[in-house]
Amino acid sequence: MNEKVIAVVTAGLTTPSSSRLLADQLADAVRDELSGRGIGTRIELIEVRDHAHELTDNLLTGFPPAKLREVLETVTGADALIVVSPTFSASYSGLFKMFFDVLDDQALAGKPVLLAATGGTERHSLVLEFALRPLFAYLKALPVPTGVYAASTDWGPNAAGLRPRIAQAAGELVSALHHETPTQADPFENPTPFEDLLNS
Amino acid sequence: MQFGVFSVGDVTTDPTTGTTVSEGERIKAMVRIALKAEEVGLDVFAQGEHHNPPFVPSSPTTQLGFIAARTSKIILSTSTTLITTNDPVKIAEDYAMLQHLADGRVDLMMGRGNTGPVYPWFGQDIRNGIQLAVENYALLRRLWREDVVDWEGKFRTPLQGFTSTPRPLDDVPPFVWHGSIRSPEIAEQAAYYGDGFFHNNIFWPMSHTKRMIELYRTRFEHYGHGAADQAIVGLGGQVFMRKNSQDAVREFRPYFDNAPVYGHGPSLEDFSRETPLTVGSPQEVIERTLSFRESVGDYQRQLFLMDHAGLPLKTVLEQLDILGEEVVPVLRKEFAALKPAHVPDAPTHASLKAAAERARDLETIEEPIR
Repeated sequence: MNEKVIAVVTAGLTTPSSSRLLADQLADAVRDELSGRGIGTRIELIEVRDHAHELTDNLLTGFPPAKLREVLETVTGADALIVVSPTFSASYSGLFKMFFDVLDDQALAGKPVLLAATGGTERHSLVLEFALRPLFAYLKALPVPTGVYAASTDWGPNAAGLRPRIAQAAGELVSALHHETPTQADPFENPTPFEDLLNS
Repeated sequence: MQFGVFSVGDVTTDPTTGTTVSEGERIKAMVRIALKAEEVGLDVFAQGEHHNPPFVPSSPTTQLGFIAARTSKIILSTSTTLITTNDPVKIAEDYAMLQHLADGRVDLMMGRGNTGPVYPWFGQDIRNGIQLAVENYALLRRLWREDVVDWEGKFRTPLQGFTSTPRPLDDVPPFVWHGSIRSPEIAEQAAYYGDGFFHNNIFWPMSHTKRMIELYRTRFEHYGHGAADQAIVGLGGQVFMRKNSQDAVREFRPYFDNAPVYGHGPSLEDFSRETPLTVGSPQEVIERTLSFRESVGDYQRQLFLMDHAGLPLKTVLEQLDILGEEVVPVLRKEFAALKPAHVPDAPTHASLKAAAERARDLETIEEPIR
């Protein structure tokens, strides 16, 4: 059976975290959506917290330690991403941003992304639109139109309102999977001939 | 195979004592290190060029000229000469001059410099780094090889009927290495000209080094300079040694933890695993260094970084004693035993001069036939 790899990047800090809870629900919804279309799913879950030290090391040394390198390769090799950040000081968290800072700025080009965030109050819900969406637009990823924001109340009295948003976003992500991800030219496989460098 | 040291020339506070040497003390310490390198039998002393604190060596040929006067065997080199922000005319002049003073004991390593703010101080822009390296070096080669040069390019005022003086010693330009950590364009440049390629190799996983050297070797062969395994490769390395491994780790850790570049990041153990950094006994350094060959093939030059992060001069000189007495003699023997006969040594002034004379003789013999 045809299988899609969905990398889920969640940057919650506590265990359990509401970001992880949202990430799991989004991943399940995407799996259901894909299976409804006869496609298998492999979910690769990445808790950014587990790599906090390695991310700092990468920023300071300029290269990812071996374990982080594997994780980054999982993300860049996935067919689509689900990303979830807690809202800190009116934006994504610093740790969330660090994960995407150490990726090559072309690494997510053309990749469908489902944007999601959590927060204490629904007053922060536009964080998806003014913080996450521009970040992924810069990275030339393809964020789907519906982002999912979950405030504390969405886990209680408003839970019924959250479910359709999750289903809507999951459907959009799966529809976006038909996009061909452009493959990057490898400058080591095909180096620019020196005469071209001299004449450029 | 050549062995040597390369110095960045940083003034860093010794984290164990809080002492910071003066610029003058650091400059004199670098000289002392170069003299010691010759004394313990190393082949190469290379120094960096920097135009911003906390680094002192802004004027490498002044320093190398001073060292040349006080040494007789060691090759003086750079790590690196900034081909982007220096005027190639001045590089041509300075290093030809140094060649004469040092009786040919000179080669250079070209580098771009990765400090953004330095470029505009010299009227340049870091975004043009590759183009600057390509154009400036093309001019530099002509200045050393043609007595009168007419030239026009993008980055420098044109030259009309210009002669760079003095002419290179014996009309043999210094051998050039190109250093780059991850720009395939620079490996390509080195391969195109049949020049040497040096990978700094420290601070990075060996996989980066391997990839760059492989590209350089393949393209060296592509451009017809010889087989891939005959390309001229140099590597860096970073070591700290004591008789007992644990003593080396204990003594070096505070320097590691507070070092410029990687300090306050990974642990010494992680960094030693991920990069070629080796802190331990001389035997461990020998084994690690020999393992580089397995990644990049037989190579011609191995330089060690010994004097950064605030290590006191006394310690650095002790390290050089260990390197010269216990490590390099073993490495020389082991590497030589492994190297096939068709793999050349790194070019020196003497070998380049002999090659030029052979080429001239061939021309004279062929002339009557034409």
